[in-house]
Amino acid sequence: MRYQHWIPLAACAAGAPAFAAQYLNAEQAQKLMFPEATAFREQDVALSLPQMQQVEKLAGLAARSVNWRVVGAYSGDKLLGYMVLDDVIGKFELISYAVGLNPDATVRQVEILTYRESHGGEIRLPAWRRQFTGKSAQTGGLAVGDGIANISGATLSCTHLTDGVRRIAAVAQVALKK
Amino acid sequence: MMRRAQPWLGTLVDIAADGEQQAVSQAITQAFAEVALMHRLMSFHDAASDISRLNRAAPGELLELNPHTWQVLRLAAQMAELSQGLFNIACAPRLVDWLCLPRPDDAEIPSYQPALAVYHCEREPLVRKLAHGWVDVGGIAKGYAVDLAVAALQRAGAGSGCVNAGGDLRGFGDHDWPVAVRDPLAPGRAAAQVLLRDEALATSAAYFSARRHGDRQISALVDGRSGEPLVASISVSVRAPRCAVADALTKVVLASGDAQHPALAASQASAFII
Repeated sequence: MRYQHWIPLAACAAGAPAFAAQYLNAEQAQKLMFPEATAFREQDVALSLPQMQQVEKLAGLAARSVNWRVVGAYSGDKLLGYMVLDDVIGKFELISYAVGLNPDATVRQVEILTYRESHGGEIRLPAWRRQFTGKSAQTGGLAVGDGIANISGATLSCTHLTDGVRRIAAVAQVALKK
Repeated sequence: MMRRAQPWLGTLVDIAADGEQQAVSQAITQAFAEVALMHRLMSFHDAASDISRLNRAAPGELLELNPHTWQVLRLAAQMAELSQGLFNIACAPRLVDWLCLPRPDDAEIPSYQPALAVYHCEREPLVRKLAHGWVDVGGIAKGYAVDLAVAALQRAGAGSGCVNAGGDLRGFGDHDWPVAVRDPLAPGRAAAQVLLRDEALATSAAYFSARRHGDRQISALVDGRSGEPLVASISVSVRAPRCAVADALTKVVLASGDAQHPALAASQASAFII
């Protein structure tokens, strides 16, 4: 074991980029969730008003959105399941993530696609978020080991993300379940 | 290098590993399975978890727990002894009191008595409940899960890798892992950067959990001796060979304010206060 000295970085306090990490793009996530799939088909969902109300009742959360980005995974004609793409915002972080679901609408896997923090209030600005949302499929040069460090700090709760997964499970129950 | 993240243990768990792509992908999947197991066993919220079973048990009852739960409880007891009570997982009643944890089944909140031994680890995997009380392993289980995930990556043949559970992390292999430590006064920014090689780093601070409760300031961090919340605007980082040990020791340094606390040297650890 080699112990190294602490390296204080006084200089990075000013003008440093906000923390960010790129994990997977949508294609990588769908292959990971459904390795046996031979085809993936976009089949976005638009919820009706009664469906929105059902989602709210099931999830115990506001349905938030009419439109959901959904990819169906198939082996030949056989449906293997779905992947739903979404973004959530927390205290100062924007998380793009994918939820893999079985045809019976049970959750099989959750994968984070990208994680981005804003320095402060930007997270509340739609223009700041628009730079990133819905662009999960794009790759950025943010691989670990290429200069983007891990973060150590107080534990940041991910309640908003677990709420998001719960909402998607309800959307699947209402609009996708076979 | 492949890097993935999933939500577990109430936070994001980030796993990176190096090696041949197919093998690394499987190694990371196995490492996440270990983290998921820890999530199920250690949850204070889930009535079916080992921790909830222990909390519900009557004084005198002997429980057979998962060996990992037993290991976490034994390490917690060792850390309590080493820190003369500064580290105490039996502070859960305080956290429920402050609404930092949900009250299990609307049960009556046991009173918190700092020096009271709530459980005793007998022959693995047996644990005896000694007194009415609740434990919460939120201050040590993330670190233990990191160690478990690292072991899974190594078993699966990953040459190097890094596991980060919401700020408690460990790197292994022939690789320097850069880690940015959040500034406690501006958590969106880095106050320091360290390089980790074959070791763990854990950080504790109140900046995300501190808030007003009634007429006082509270946080999710408790001084084990007094049961008082730790609300100072400092950040404590500990590096140690194992992440579970680093995780627990951050609370010892935070409560004592002593970056040279004897429990550190006894654990081959060192600390850094920002």
